[in-house]
Order: sequence, then structure tokens, then C-alpha cells
Amino acid sequence: MNRQIRGLGIGLAVLFIALFVQLNWLQVVDAKRLNDNPGNSRAVVRDFVQPRGAIQTSDGVVIAESTPTNDDFQRQRSYPEGALFGHLTGYFSFTYGTDGVERTYNDALTGRDQKFRLDRLSDILLQKEHSANVTLSVSKALQQVATQALGQRKGAVVALDPRTGAILAMADYPADDPNPLAGHNQAAVRDAWTALNSDPAKPLLPRSYRERYFPGSSFKVVTASTGLATGTATVSQPVYPFVSQIALPQTTQPLQNFGGEVCGGPMPEALRVSCNTSFAQLGLDIGADKLAAGAQSFGFTKTPPIDLPFAQPSTFPTAAELAHDKPALAKSAIGQQDVAATPLQMALVAAGIANDGVVMTPHVMAEVRDSEGRVVQTYEPKAWTTAVPPDVAHTVRDMMVGVVKGGTGTLAQIPGVTVAGKTGTAQTGRDTSHTWFVSFAPAEDPKVAVAVIVEDQPNVNEATGGTVAAPIAKAVMQAALAGP
Amino acid sequence: MIANTALRDSVVFRSRRNTELGLIILAALLTAAGYTLASLGRSATLPVDIVPFLGVILALLAVAHVATRRLAPGANGIMLPLAGLLNGIGYVFIARLDKDLAALQALWTALGIVAFVATLVLVRRVRDLERFRYTFALVGIGLLLMPLLPVVGRNINGSRLWIRAGTVTFQPGELAKIVLCIFFASYLVEKRELLSEARHRVGAMFVPNFKYFGPVALAWAVSLLIMTAERDLGSSLLFFTLFIAMLWVATGRGAYLAIGGVMFAGGAFLAWRSFGHVQDRVTIWINPWKTAGGTGYQIVQALFAFAAGGLAGTNIAQGSPQRIPAVSTDFIFAAIGEELGLLGTTAIVIAFLLLVATGIRIALRAEPPFEKLLAAGLTTILGVQAFVIIGGVTRLVPLTGITLPFVSYGGSSLLANYALLALLLRISHDQGEREQAEARALTETRA
Repeated sequence: MNRQIRGLGIGLAVLFIALFVQLNWLQVVDAKRLNDNPGNSRAVVRDFVQPRGAIQTSDGVVIAESTPTNDDFQRQRSYPEGALFGHLTGYFSFTYGTDGVERTYNDALTGRDQKFRLDRLSDILLQKEHSANVTLSVSKALQQVATQALGQRKGAVVALDPRTGAILAMADYPADDPNPLAGHNQAAVRDAWTALNSDPAKPLLPRSYRERYFPGSSFKVVTASTGLATGTATVSQPVYPFVSQIALPQTTQPLQNFGGEVCGGPMPEALRVSCNTSFAQLGLDIGADKLAAGAQSFGFTKTPPIDLPFAQPSTFPTAAELAHDKPALAKSAIGQQDVAATPLQMALVAAGIANDGVVMTPHVMAEVRDSEGRVVQTYEPKAWTTAVPPDVAHTVRDMMVGVVKGGTGTLAQIPGVTVAGKTGTAQTGRDTSHTWFVSFAPAEDPKVAVAVIVEDQPNVNEATGGTVAAPIAKAVMQAALAGP
Repeated sequence: MIANTALRDSVVFRSRRNTELGLIILAALLTAAGYTLASLGRSATLPVDIVPFLGVILALLAVAHVATRRLAPGANGIMLPLAGLLNGIGYVFIARLDKDLAALQALWTALGIVAFVATLVLVRRVRDLERFRYTFALVGIGLLLMPLLPVVGRNINGSRLWIRAGTVTFQPGELAKIVLCIFFASYLVEKRELLSEARHRVGAMFVPNFKYFGPVALAWAVSLLIMTAERDLGSSLLFFTLFIAMLWVATGRGAYLAIGGVMFAGGAFLAWRSFGHVQDRVTIWINPWKTAGGTGYQIVQALFAFAAGGLAGTNIAQGSPQRIPAVSTDFIFAAIGEELGLLGTTAIVIAFLLLVATGIRIALRAEPPFEKLLAAGLTTILGVQAFVIIGGVTRLVPLTGITLPFVSYGGSSLLANYALLALLLRISHDQGEREQAEARALTETRA
């Protein structure tokens, strides 16, 4: 029988060799094709189930964290502060991907960007977790102040440190609570997503850096700066005529001041009362090339390199578009026509003036720490764009101080602190106006710059627009300066 | 002189047992390492109960080891550690997949060890089994038919393979394999002269007398019957293969292999024509992608699991094998493939290959034909069963639900396989004793 038994042994060995070949085929040769198979949600899940670090505020409040679960996904992402930081953290959703800091710092949170990553089995033994925690420059304290000051009015508040570009607060209303999108019940997640998307108030839209509005008179800061920088005007010359409207070239339609108000004077006076006719004239005097270049030097038409996804560039017409369209040039100079700015961009305009003319790159990340608490990355401030020379910035700053001292922005005054600011009121064509306030403080040593927009305010004009937005900016600046 | 040889005997036997003990400790340490990795993978902490865990494994295997030392000291020393290793790795994965099942599996492992010891105690000489041949035949058929009985029989996943007593379900077919293997071995050994007589010539081949085809036809009929009544493709495939292999080993007639092949093809075709679930299995095997969201889901998820594991695996508790239905039982090998990678699956396949090779070696060395044939048959059960399920989950062959010996969750399977192991060790020990006796006789003659 031994012959047969040997044969049986060989037969069984052949079967096992076939198994070995098949395993090599599946796990090595064909593995990539199987992993890339569109029906294979395992790869998506694999990314999804990786350990993921927490996101916390500069004052140590956890705003995104993962806790173990017993289901397929192994971890549940949760956002303890809900909508308060909804647009900053973004969401981490199996069905809808990621947004916000969850998206931009995905590699840091999962530890994928760490250089000395060992592979799989061995890294579990030697270095069990390489996910990292991201600390933001935003504090919960200031975020709360901004959110409460804005209240339930559609709009946005952006506060940043003009010296470093660090975002200190970034509040939108409405903002969504990301928790429902991070759920593991896909049907419930889809329902939540559909509801958020069909909401006309657009709670998923981070207005602060993705929505563009007519900047209106707040843009006059840019026009004033460009006028000074190009030598088109000084603080004393020209003296703009006191009129209620001016005739524009190429059209019979005159450009009017709000409510037919009569205003004029030298640039500081015109800025103090936000005189449209004076700034329209200044714009015409500067000319298309230089005004477009001036807007660009503040960052208009460029996407702010902020570490948040899908930031929108603010728009300003090209020099060519304005060269032969004088009415458009005049209206662009007062922030109308085709000018549109994100709240972030307007905060950067204020910050540029505050920081001696240099606009710093805006950012929300302060530092990244590994799971042991060691700092692996610290944000290094860098300049984004040079808006104006320092002397021009100082001049504009003084004019903006005038606006708050005795102009349209008096409601932003803070006792004991010199505040520089500029109001803006942009008509929406719906019998309402978007009201703006851009500001920074203290004027002599700026530590915080703030832009506020409140949408669709009824019954406001250039003089009264400041009453809506300026107090919000004031509250945020006051809290930021009181600081921890 | 006699004292000398007795001493030498015990030295040879003791060295086998010491090898076994060393390997058992190694297997226990490997299992404990796997358990630690699973805990690290799950919660990045060391398991709190690692010391008692290691203690329990060592204690269980030590019981089996002491039993072999006392009852079969001359038996091969590597099979028990291999089984213990497979059992341990299986347990680690079951614990990682389902805590409740793990507690049961621990209990079943203990009962498996009891079955191992009991088999060694009850079967003191392998040849004693020959005497109860027809009793075994009846018991085997009885066990096979038990699930079909009313009241105790249970349908699980469309197959009627289980019996239930109280809350415990049991698959008697697992034990029937061994019992029928004993019957086949004794029957075929007795009839092998007759069965191997070539009387007829078909083409170039001499074939045995047709009247002795009865056993083959019976095996064929029985496996088809099981397939029909209990919808158990895996077991019927195993039975048929086992019987043909044993028939061939006993007689050395290639004709049986040819006839078996033809009948297998015929049976397979008949089954495919008659049964929807057989057709489904084949369709899924040929193209699982077409029904990846439906009937092909399980195998497609298993293939994804193997691919996700790659070379080194995701590490235990870091993959997502839970998405494969029946991952703790039939598909446990896919979980190992995902989390231990090709390295892990290769280790498992090699462990089975070593078990099979050792079984074949035991069969080759055994002198009495019955023991030879029984060892070959038991080894075939182990090898073919491992191949059928591993091949099934890797889509090498159509999937037939069957457990992976020692690794899958399942009480009946563990019990049966430990009993099978004990029988192989008993055969090995008997042969060892014979060899010692011969050596002793030789020495004494010389002296």
C-alpha cells in the first residue's frame, strides 16, 4: 500500500501547492486590482477606520475627536461643540467625505504625513499610534463671543491676528452641526445631508471664506490706499467738492450719494463720512490699471492661501475691463459693480493696513502634536502679499481711526483703546443691504483685525449701516484684547 | 541488558515527548503573542488577562500532553503542537471577531481536549477497532441521518446538519466522518484482495469485477443522499473523495480512481442539474462579480479581505473582516488573510501541510494494513477538508460550506478533529512500540 499512500501524499501536497499559488495570486499579484475594484468599499473604510487625532482650540477645548465603537468603522468621529465650530472642523463623513480642517489636515490627523512611518505590523509594535492632534489658533472663548454677537443674523465674523495671519475666530450664521454627517447609519446621514442642502439659509456654506458679497464702502479702504500709494491723492489734496451726485463719463446716469446726502472734502473727511462721490472721483483719478493693481496687491482676484479647503478668491474687474468703462471704474472704486469680497478677504484688508501694509498668510492651524504630546509642526507666519508701503498704511490707519472717532463707525469705540475701522453698506437690490464693518485695534499696536458682514438688513443707509455690524466687531475686538 | 534496552526505549520515547512539550510551549507563546497583537490592534493596550490567558492555553495543551506521555508515549511529537497552534490562532481570531463565540470556543476546546484524552484512553490498541466494524458503520450512518430526525434536527443557513439538545447545537456529521473512515478502513482491508482482482478488460485497462463495485456505488449514493437531504456539499464531497482515495490505497487499482472520477463528474452534473443551490455555487464561483451585491457578496468580500491583507496583513483587529458573512466559521481563513496577510495564510497552509505530511508518514510506517489504511483515511479527511474550505474561500474551487479543522468556530468540528488526532497518535504510538520491541528482540538475539 505504500506506493498508493505516497501517491496520496503527493496528491494532497499538490492540492496544498495549488492553495499556496492561489494565495500568492490573491494577496500579492492581483491584490492591487482587487483593492482598486470600484465595488470595494474596504479601501474607503480602511482610510475611514484609521486612528484619527483630535482637533482642539487654542484654549484647549476639544472640538473633534474619535471614540471607539464596535461596528465596522471602529471609531465614531464626534464634534463636542457642534455648530459652534462646525465650519472650522468641517466634517468627516463616510458618505460625503471631508471638509474644513478635517480635510486640510487629514494627513496629519491620520498620521500619514509623518516621515518615519513604519509599515503595518512593525509600526504597531514599535510606535502604536501615529495619528496626531491639531491645535487651532482659534479660541473657544472668542469664537463664542463672535457667534453670540452675530446672533441669529445671516452673516459672518472673521477675526485674525494681523501680525501673524492667525485666525482667532471665524463664525458663520447659520452653521451646521457636523455630528449628523459623521454618523455611521448611512441612511440617516443621507437624510441629514439632504436636509442641510435643501435649507435655503445654506447652513453648509462657510460664508466667512467661501461666500462673496459686494464690499460696498468698506472697499474704500483699498481705494484710499491705492490713491495714496500711487500719489494720485494725499490727505489734503484734492479737496473733493461737496455734492450729492457726480456725472460720470460715458453715461447720463449720475452716481449719487446715499439718500442724496451732500458730502466731500479731502480724503480723510470723505472716508469719515464714507462719501461715494469723492471716492468715485478718486477711482477715476487713479485709473483702471492702478486701481486693479491696487486691489490685487491686497489679495483681490487671488485665492487666499488659508489652510481651509475651497477658499474663494474675491473678485475685482481686470484693468482691461475697466479701461474703457469709466462708470464701472467709478463704481468699482466704491465696492460696487463687479467687486465681490469674502469676509476673510475684507479682514485681510484691515489686517494689511494694521500690519504696516503687509498682508500675512491667513491660517487656522497653530500646531500639530503627536499622540505623545510632542510638537511635530508649528505654524510659521509668512507674508502673503504686500498691499501698500508702511507710510501709506499708517496714513490709512489714521483715517480709519477718524471713522470710528467721529464718523460712521462710532459704535465700534472701545474705552481706552484706539480703534480703526470702516463701515460698508451694499445694497442688495431687494430693498435690503449687506452691512459691513472692517476694523483693527489697538490702532498704534494692532493685535486683532476683524471683518463683519450681516446680510440683508432692512432700512439701513450708509450712515446707519455701521449700527448693525460695528457693535459686533467691537465685541470681538474687546474680547480679543482682554484675552486670556 | 534488558534494563538497558528499557532505558533506551524510554529515552527515545521521552525525547519525542520532550519535543512535543517544547513545541507546545512555543505554540502557546505564539497564540499569546497573537492575543496581545489583537489587543494592541483593538485598543492600543496590552491585554490585562494575558497571564491567565497564557496559563489556560498551556494548561489545556499540558493535559493533552500528559495524556500522550502516559497513554501513547511513542507517538509522533509534532501533531499535537500543530493542532494546538491552529486551535490557538483560530481562538485569537474568534475572540477578535465575536467575544461571545470565543467563550464558547474556549469551552469547546476544553471538550476537544477531553475527547482527545478519552480517545486515547478508550482506544488502547488500534486493531481493537476492527472488531466493531459494523457497529461503526451503523453508528456512522446513524450520525449522518440524525439531523433529519424531527424534533432534534435543525436547519441552519439552509442546510440540515445540526441537532439540538437544549441550547447546544451539534453537527453529528463531523463525527460520522471518522466513524465511517474506521469502517471503510476495516472493510476495505478485508476485501482488498477481491476488490483488486482484475477480471475485465476495458480498452487498455483491466478493471475489477463489477460485482465488487458495490462499495463505490454505495459511497456515491450516500454522498448524493447527504447532498440532497441535508444540502451539505462540503461533506458529500469529502465523503466521496475519502472513499475513493481509501479504495485506491487499499487496492492499488487506478481503475477505481478513473471510475470514481467519472462518477464524481456524473454526480456533480446530476446535482448541478437538480439543485438550485448547487447551480448557485457554481455560478458564483465562475463569476462572483456579477452578483457582488447579492449571492456573490460573501466570496467577493473574502477576496477583498485577502487583497487588503497583502503580504503582511493589517494586523489583528485592524482590518474589517466583520463584513464577510460567517467569518467566524467557514470564512475564518479570510479574516486571517486580511489581518495576518500572506505570511499568516502561508503559515496556516504550512501547518496543515505538516499535519498531512506527518499523517502520511504515520501511514507509511504503520505495518498492519488496517492501521495503514486508517491513518491514510484520517489524513485524507484532514487534508481534503482544509483544502476544500481554503480553496473555497480563495475561489480556487467552488465554495462548499465546511469548517477549517481546529481553526474555525465549531464544537463538533473541534471535538471530531481532536479525536481524529488522537487516533493518528495512537497508530503512531503502536508502531513505535512495535519498532521498539523489534529492536529489543534484535539486541537480545545478538546478546
